[in-house]
Amino acid sequence: MLHHLINDCLVTVKHENFKTCDQSGFCKRNRLYADTALKSSKWESPYHLERSTIKFNDGILTGIVNKNIINTDQKIRLPLKVAFYESGVARVTVDEEQRQKGQIELRHDAKIRKERYNEAEQWAIVGGTTVSTGAAIDKDSEKGTTKIKYGPESRFDAIIRHSPLGIEFKRDGVTQVKFNERGLLNVEHWRKKIKKKEEPKAEGEEGQTGDAAVVAESDKEAAEDESTWWEESFGGNTDTKPRGPEAVALDISFPGYEYTYGLAEHTSPLALKETRGQKEANKYDDPYRMYNADVFEYEIDSPMTLYGNIPFLQAHKKDSTVGVFWLNGAETWIDVTKSKTSANPLSLGITGETTTNTHWISESGLLDVFVFLGPTPQDVIGAYTELTGTQQLPQHFSIASHQCRWNYVTDEDVKDVDRKFDKNRIPYDVIWLDIEYTDGKKYFTWDSMTFPDPLGMQKQLDEHERKLVYIIDPHIKNEGGYNVVDELKSKDHAVKNKDGNIYEGWCWPGSSHWVDCFSPAARKWWTSLFKYSKFIGTAKNSWLWNDMNEPSVFNGPETTMPKDNIHHGGWEHRDIHNINGMTFINATYDALLARDKEEEKHNVRPFILTRSFFAGSQRLGAMWTGDNQAEWSHLEASIPMVLSMGISGFPFAGADIGGFFGNPDKELLTRWYQAGIWYPFMRAHAHIDTRRREPYLAGEPYTEIIAQAIRLRYSLLPAWYTAFHESHVTGAPIVRPNYYMFPGDEKGFGIDDQLYLGSSGLLAKPVTKADQPGTPVYLGDKEKYYDYFDFWTYQGPGDVALSSPLETIPLLMRGGHIIPRRDRPRRSSGLMKYDPLTLVVVLGESGDAEGTLYLDDGETFDYQEGAYLHRQFKHLGSTSTLMSEDLATPGKKTKEYLKTMEKVRVEKIIVVGAPAAWKGKTEVEVSEEQGGKSAAARKVPLDFHDKEEGKAAWAVVRDPAVQVGSGWKISFA
Amino acid sequence: MKRVVAALVALEYAAQATAASRPRGVGPEFAKFYEGSNTFTCISNPKVNIPFSRVNDDYCDCPDGSDEPGTAACAHLSPLSPHTPADSAASSSVNTTAALPGFYCKNKGHIPSYVPFTNVNDGICDYELCCDGSEEWEGIVKCKDRCDEIGKEWRKHDEARQKAAGNALRKRNELVKEAARLRQQVKDRIQTLGTEIQGSELKVKDLEKELSETQRKEAGKVVSSSGGSKGGKLGQLVEIGRRRTDELRTQLTSVRGDLLASRSRLEKLEEVLSKFHEEYNPNFNDEGVKRAVKAWEDYIASYGVGSTPNSANERDLEEILKEDKENGLDWDNYSEEEEDETAVLYSFTNYLPPTLRDWVDSKLRDLRQTLIDNGILASSPSGSANESKKVTDARNRLDTAKKDLEDHRNNLKDSTEDLGKDFGPDDVFRALKGVCVETDSGEYTYELCFLEKTNQKPKKGGGHTNMGTFTRIEKIVVDEELPSNGKGLGSGERYAMKHENGQHCWNGPNRSTTVILACSEENEIWKIFEEEKCVYRMEVGTPAVCERRKSNGGDSKGKDEL
Repeated sequence: MLHHLINDCLVTVKHENFKTCDQSGFCKRNRLYADTALKSSKWESPYHLERSTIKFNDGILTGIVNKNIINTDQKIRLPLKVAFYESGVARVTVDEEQRQKGQIELRHDAKIRKERYNEAEQWAIVGGTTVSTGAAIDKDSEKGTTKIKYGPESRFDAIIRHSPLGIEFKRDGVTQVKFNERGLLNVEHWRKKIKKKEEPKAEGEEGQTGDAAVVAESDKEAAEDESTWWEESFGGNTDTKPRGPEAVALDISFPGYEYTYGLAEHTSPLALKETRGQKEANKYDDPYRMYNADVFEYEIDSPMTLYGNIPFLQAHKKDSTVGVFWLNGAETWIDVTKSKTSANPLSLGITGETTTNTHWISESGLLDVFVFLGPTPQDVIGAYTELTGTQQLPQHFSIASHQCRWNYVTDEDVKDVDRKFDKNRIPYDVIWLDIEYTDGKKYFTWDSMTFPDPLGMQKQLDEHERKLVYIIDPHIKNEGGYNVVDELKSKDHAVKNKDGNIYEGWCWPGSSHWVDCFSPAARKWWTSLFKYSKFIGTAKNSWLWNDMNEPSVFNGPETTMPKDNIHHGGWEHRDIHNINGMTFINATYDALLARDKEEEKHNVRPFILTRSFFAGSQRLGAMWTGDNQAEWSHLEASIPMVLSMGISGFPFAGADIGGFFGNPDKELLTRWYQAGIWYPFMRAHAHIDTRRREPYLAGEPYTEIIAQAIRLRYSLLPAWYTAFHESHVTGAPIVRPNYYMFPGDEKGFGIDDQLYLGSSGLLAKPVTKADQPGTPVYLGDKEKYYDYFDFWTYQGPGDVALSSPLETIPLLMRGGHIIPRRDRPRRSSGLMKYDPLTLVVVLGESGDAEGTLYLDDGETFDYQEGAYLHRQFKHLGSTSTLMSEDLATPGKKTKEYLKTMEKVRVEKIIVVGAPAAWKGKTEVEVSEEQGGKSAAARKVPLDFHDKEEGKAAWAVVRDPAVQVGSGWKISFA
Repeated sequence: MKRVVAALVALEYAAQATAASRPRGVGPEFAKFYEGSNTFTCISNPKVNIPFSRVNDDYCDCPDGSDEPGTAACAHLSPLSPHTPADSAASSSVNTTAALPGFYCKNKGHIPSYVPFTNVNDGICDYELCCDGSEEWEGIVKCKDRCDEIGKEWRKHDEARQKAAGNALRKRNELVKEAARLRQQVKDRIQTLGTEIQGSELKVKDLEKELSETQRKEAGKVVSSSGGSKGGKLGQLVEIGRRRTDELRTQLTSVRGDLLASRSRLEKLEEVLSKFHEEYNPNFNDEGVKRAVKAWEDYIASYGVGSTPNSANERDLEEILKEDKENGLDWDNYSEEEEDETAVLYSFTNYLPPTLRDWVDSKLRDLRQTLIDNGILASSPSGSANESKKVTDARNRLDTAKKDLEDHRNNLKDSTEDLGKDFGPDDVFRALKGVCVETDSGEYTYELCFLEKTNQKPKKGGGHTNMGTFTRIEKIVVDEELPSNGKGLGSGERYAMKHENGQHCWNGPNRSTTVILACSEENEIWKIFEEEKCVYRMEVGTPAVCERRKSNGGDSKGKDEL
């Protein structure tokens, strides 16, 4: 018993603390609705678009959808809007007229809004909503449908079936996405609570006549279960639901698509699993859930919700990707099922195709869906990030190595760790402070006993260009004499409870209140708290960690706020729950910008790490996967999780290296570092009860192996920063899964344990199992790949075997790429700023190669005014020349910046897979343009190494000494 | 240190002739490798020859990095960096261990030193190693020569350190003297004890004689006094026995009742706490709850949960509580039998199940003792029931004398052992035994009592936590930076006192502390650190470990005086 107790409390999530679909009224109702609909062959969806109301103006179609109430003449009017954007995105929005017009009664005299929540877009959407001028109604629409042609070259069709309502999206005449194909559309309209007499009757039932159809009976059945309409209790908390049932649900089918990805963040594999089945069949029995929550000791391979959620899904099949974005901030569940359509039995040899069906269910708010028709993964992600924004281009330090622990207990402790990294010659950039630095968990204060000299601490860090990140959470300690809570209360910036009083709950400090960042005034106030003059002891090199912003409330239902809490504007917490975390970091982001203005060196990009997030959070900072465990299984799960964040528009993601809970053994810690250097956000973190595990404590050979891994990350920072920039511009993932890289390679669609770094051609396969001397790597195309460390040559496609003893990181370079590096080890990334570059030119099948390099000051927004350099390097096999071309768009700060980079040169060019023809060659010719003119050509030495048993030939250009910011050409011919 | 300085200075002079031509960053001891003019031969790869113009051209040519003594170009030649075949110009089979220790800073006015190549031209003035700022020659940052001021400061500190070291050494001498005195004390004690033991042995012999005399004299009386009334007395005894057994049974029943009740309450309580421990929200930072959880965890760690009763004892107890007859003890059968009276009480155990016998025997003794202690039963004289007072007195005197002898012998053993124990060099730690020092760190005060224990005391009050009891002295190698005030471990071999078996940690080991000692004027705790869960490291200064500075250079006269 004791044994059981100890073990279990270390590894198992407390399932009873979190709802299953069955325990979540609206999910249960809609699943039942689906069961009813799918059971009956005669099911007809009761939603009908009234033909006469259809209007199409300036790329927007509007109309009224009538929801027929079974066995009555009553019709619920649901305004429909279908917008077609210039980007080729279609958006379908369904509202409810009665609520829209405020013609409903709120129960319990609740002081809340009557409308369905319609402000999600104010938080999530930042662009891409220019309506299309080219979209037009096609005159050839079939009877009973309205067909709109839109998108690039009008290759897309949206065919709106009027009765029952259904929408079919086609690309090049082929159906890609279908709405309400299975009839699961459900908008729970407002109704008055009828006092029950003996036999409870759902409203709408009265006056029914005898001609009830089967359909009606079924619907009655589905709609009749009133038990969860008015009130729901869970874990000792009762939700008063003043607006009654108000869910929205829709089925979205992807005919011919077997693979779906997205719905981050979950611990499931990258390719989504079916959710209506059994574990044995490798299916889940609950839908993917999205309800941001602090899930203590979460389990892996589960559709349970986690800290953040992005309701964006992609469906993928050979050479085609499409997607949908379900813009809703309320609790949401998504069922995923697959159906096989058997091929026409007469056409032998053609196998049936698999269709993925999804069923989206949200508790409240608008039904608001964006449809992306691809056809490439990048088209879909690009369109999604055009809407919600791309990844913030972070400060350079933040893509280097972070060292965190709950807690570095004193300022001396921090300084000691800082010195020890230097002493052991292990680079790092950022050290973190968890909650213990505060005076009694009162944010914006220091514990004077343990942190008597915070500025001295930050000064020491700054001496080596290092940063401090400290934590600030949204719960404010409810304690007399604490000025922050006094102001929060007196200025009325806190979240309210259902009665309109300041909500009180428990978190780290004990009794607390929560700042309501939906309120502009509260955000403005929040901004003031971060001023250096206000939070004394913070310096310019300090940045932020926002944790617990789901929000985590220890004594709240499902460890969060009651849904009937009230936010600014009279919106219920129910409506905005998933958006809440984003509003908090948004406020902090603004605060950091404001904090900065008073300085000489203004205009610095904020750095914030968040645990909770929503669509759009990527614009503001980085995320991590929360409180994982020091187990191999968690290391393994971190790869698909980080990949999933990448394809969900929020690629600046990572998991705690070493695992938060528990003590990793040295092999696990070492492997975790070797894997962690491939997380875009690379941070080691540990729970307060764990043993210290800074890399220099591991002892040999572990410390040396870990140092090599970290130094590898540092040497590849130019490639990383370039990948971050690409993501910032296009929304592309920073680390990429196989399906994204090779959308036509069906064998790679399910692969989620290896990753490509940006467009660099680097393919890493982290070892995530104990004692693994060999590791297979999957190559998705017919191309040469070279081992990074010894130039061993592999030929794709298919699996190849790499040896992977502990000291080795399986890492390949794909032919055809040019990888920028900085090989000089430094103490921090800031000290590498003016170091020369090494270019690794990896020649593949064609003999051509290309790569890009993006650099800027790594700190400010000056890059927006042209203060950056962006080069494209190209090697042409046919002419044996390598050149550097400008990709930048000059701005007013371009010149000034390039001047600072004048001395930064390319010190070395390594050509892997060098042609045999270069044998015997000892020189290459370098020509460079200087000040807009070509300088005289120079000869520099070339050192050629012939291939030897399995290893590629390689050559080194010795110190071409060309400026990294200028144009140049090297001829190997 | 000074001698190193002197040596370097000497080299500096020696190399002065070539200093002008020595490439940037080359230390005098490597100057000879850089004397060529046209070609340079890599230091550990003599097969690799490069034009001399490639020395310090900011490109790494030599596999051992020796061509770049003044730049960071070869900084990646390190076992800490990832390796690829193209790291240096040579193929992978050659020796790539860096040939040079770093960038040589002349530091005129202070001590020359090497700064790691990774720090060359990185935009940071590494004044700690390179006070002349020469490692930042590229101009990313201007590092002016601060050797005058740093050297001056260093010499000032060094003087203070020397002075402190002198004082410390004097104190150590005092400690050594004190230790010697204490040692002599022990020796004296041993001698005294020897004499005392001899005396005691004689005394014991005498008393043994006295006792046997007395016994002989008194023997007759005892026999006659017990002869006459045997039968009647036995009858009475049986009756008393029966009553007492009944009484005992009743007592036992009630004690057992209490036991069971307590146990079930304990179980209930443990269940409540278990549940509490399982269900409390660990994210919830309620100090009260945390303390309770902690206390519960400590409790489980020490006692386990659900104290499973000894089922054999339980069964036996059941047995005992049955009527005597069922236990095979029929008092009536004994009422007239002729047996030694006292034996009867105990011999009833012969009728008990064998497994039970020992236990009942011991329990009965305990119970009897308890009853006596509580005044329920009267004490009966020890030894034979009817021993005369004179014999008893004689026996008592003998026992006392024997005990004295035993004590003396033990003391002698302890003292002799003590002399053999390791008290460090010159027996010096002997003088520190029991001396306590403490320091505040965060919310605790930490205490070290030399050769005894380490303690953690919460400032807010509450119980002390034992962090380990002294077990032994060891030597360990440390490598720490020495702060300018000299209060730190520095680098090298140090004495370490191991403290083990402190209070148990939940889900962890018993607390233990390694106290690492370095020379200091005073006994003081410099730093306390939890290296891993419940394993502490204390860095402590004490004059006891000070050593004469072998590298004291010209200061030998002062040294001799100490």
